[in-house]
Amino acid sequence: MVTRKTLISATLVAALGVILVLGVLAGRAFREPARAISIAGMTVLEPASPLPEFRLHDQNNQVFDLARLQGKWSFVFFGYTHCPDICPTTLVVLRDVQKIAGGKEQGIQYIFVSVDPDRDNAATLKSYLPYFHPEFIGATGGHGELMRLTRALGAYYESGEASGGNYEVHHSAAIFLIDPEARLRALFAGPHDAARLAQGLQRLKGG
Amino acid sequence: MIRFKRIAVGVMLLMTCLLAVADSSIVVRDAWVREAPPGAAVLAAYFTLENTGTKEDKLVAVRGPDFDKIEIHATEIRDGIARMIALDALPIAPHAVVRLAPGGYHLMLHHPRRALAAGMSVKLELRFESGTRLTVVAPVRRAEAGTAHHH
Repeated sequence: MVTRKTLISATLVAALGVILVLGVLAGRAFREPARAISIAGMTVLEPASPLPEFRLHDQNNQVFDLARLQGKWSFVFFGYTHCPDICPTTLVVLRDVQKIAGGKEQGIQYIFVSVDPDRDNAATLKSYLPYFHPEFIGATGGHGELMRLTRALGAYYESGEASGGNYEVHHSAAIFLIDPEARLRALFAGPHDAARLAQGLQRLKGG
Repeated sequence: MIRFKRIAVGVMLLMTCLLAVADSSIVVRDAWVREAPPGAAVLAAYFTLENTGTKEDKLVAVRGPDFDKIEIHATEIRDGIARMIALDALPIAPHAVVRLAPGGYHLMLHHPRRALAAGMSVKLELRFESGTRLTVVAPVRRAEAGTAHHH
């Protein structure tokens, strides 16, 4: 009797195992694009997450809204110009992504959104960004509009305590990748690597 | 007698100076300033500190004639959020090497008093808790990628 019980249990366990394996394989087959992408620090959104309307201004004082994200792949990074370390470091990485993956002609744009509109305006961004790349877009706006965008992307920023006339702004370190339908498609956690970012974009474009 | 006293004081002063130099067990290497876009209000400086001695020392302040204010900072990324933390002091343990590098510890140089571009250099005076003062000349350099690190 004991042997029979054991046999039945063993058969059941084996059957369950087979079903599990088949289930996993079937699941994988349905999520083919996601399986193809496995780059360190990169999170791909399945499905991509549509962004809401927002209204910022770029370094030329032109409206920068959802429409400006349509029809192109966009790398987006949040920062501020009174940031001497991580912001320029990330912009240099994006400059190198541009070298590898291309820019406007390849339908790829690079956007630096300043989350410090009290100190950064169109003029500040216009003198700051060409140093990294003449094609880079700078954008900023009121906190309400900035937050519509950051919230939709799962990004974060907050101004720190002021001391001696200066204050820091804490902000997401991630780089966000928006697809040509203006949907959040992927995000990259730091530390950033130009080759990895370019590779991630290439996989998504191909997939 | 007065003459002798003067000489003695002079010798003593000289010895103190020599001692101050000999006593410094901190070595500063590879100092550089990250070139910033024109008109940038802040820049960052990086270098390596080595404590060759047997006692802990701390970098407590930095002065420089080219900036309104200089602070010791750490960029910290926690839960995906980048924060700049102002430090009162940066400890260097005995026989330890502390690197200030992009994405980590750095000096925040506020409001350059002259336009600084690659090829120029700035003077920075590093002050330590032990009383040691070291002056370094840091060249301004254009930053290349791939230098970011986590500490």
